[in-house]
Amino acid sequence: MAKKRPAEISVNETLVEQLMVNIGKISHVIERQGHSIFGQANILSNDEINDYSIEFLELFVMLLQSGDKLNRRGAEYKALRQFFSTFSQQIQVRGGSLEEFVRYIQFMQRVMIEELETDTALESHQVRGILLLLASVFNDIILDVFHVYLEEKERTIQAQQEELREISTPITEIWDGVLTLPIIGTLDSSRTMMVMERLLARIETDRAKVVVMDVTGVLAIDSQVSHHLIQMIRAVGLMGAEAILTGIRPEIARALTSLNIDLGGVTTRSTLSEGLKEAFRQLDVHVMPPQG
Amino acid sequence: MIQGMHLTPIGSGIVLLEPGEGLDPSDPDAYLEPLVGYLQRQRASRLIYDLTSVPLIDSIYYGWLKMVSDICRVAGVQLVVVNMAPPAAFALSQILDGPPPFLCALNVDRAR
Repeated sequence: MAKKRPAEISVNETLVEQLMVNIGKISHVIERQGHSIFGQANILSNDEINDYSIEFLELFVMLLQSGDKLNRRGAEYKALRQFFSTFSQQIQVRGGSLEEFVRYIQFMQRVMIEELETDTALESHQVRGILLLLASVFNDIILDVFHVYLEEKERTIQAQQEELREISTPITEIWDGVLTLPIIGTLDSSRTMMVMERLLARIETDRAKVVVMDVTGVLAIDSQVSHHLIQMIRAVGLMGAEAILTGIRPEIARALTSLNIDLGGVTTRSTLSEGLKEAFRQLDVHVMPPQG
Repeated sequence: MIQGMHLTPIGSGIVLLEPGEGLDPSDPDAYLEPLVGYLQRQRASRLIYDLTSVPLIDSIYYGWLKMVSDICRVAGVQLVVVNMAPPAAFALSQILDGPPPFLCALNVDRAR
């Protein structure tokens, strides 16, 4: 096969040649930077940093060798992007910062650009082509890393929200057939729906007879909150359980009367302990101090 | 035998009503008289309405339950609704503007 003249050599091939000549040096510089960023903070071990550097260079060369033009849909390009996505996830999981990781990627790009300066045989249009190619690939990589970072953040936020919801509605079976539900904060429509869903499911699974709903932690009540509260009490009743409302503070009681909220059919007690006593009374359970 | 519902005397003057797929709650006239007739023949004092097969209660179904409750009251029979699924209880609590006219229990055992 006839050797191509310099003018026929593609940007990809030129860059591959560059990389092949300086691979040892580039790899060493990238590894050293990796050690200084991730090694000192114990985010990655020395072996991991070296492996990542080698894998990156291998994938990058494979991408350049896959064709004269950059194929964004090609397997080589996907493999390189996947490599950085996995790398980014690992850095995040181990507590590394996104900023440092992006700087590391930019450093990789800079190392390759700096190596171009050493090759005086390159013509300006070749240098321009290589620079554009590097910018295009590394921009895509950085965007991918940002996507991974945002997805991970989103997952974390969702998990935290779920945990918060769990904590804010701790439904506990305090006695056989007696559930307690301390309500803290405010009751908006979406929270009411969520609390009711869980409460009704628990009534069914625990075969609860009495539900003590404690509103000591409800700081303010308006017509919407009280409406939701009554809905919840009704739903409990429809499931065949008895609802006891406890912990109505004076200001809440005042607000309820001002709002003309009828709690006539609802059993209320001043405190959670009084509510439990009422629940035991309804279940015909007698709690007595030990004799002696 | 009443089309669309299964009625079983379960002792002590209690009758269990299990609605079937053929029951049309929007046509209460087709069921109410035969139902009361059956309850009177059985000398029932309590009717347990089992909602196991009813996944959701809308205003039409609630209207039907109210009519059953009203006619039972007239006939001296107490209506107890049982096995209401959580989604049905949730949906019904949104419709209600007061306590329902019938009793509710978790299951048949507790309604006896």
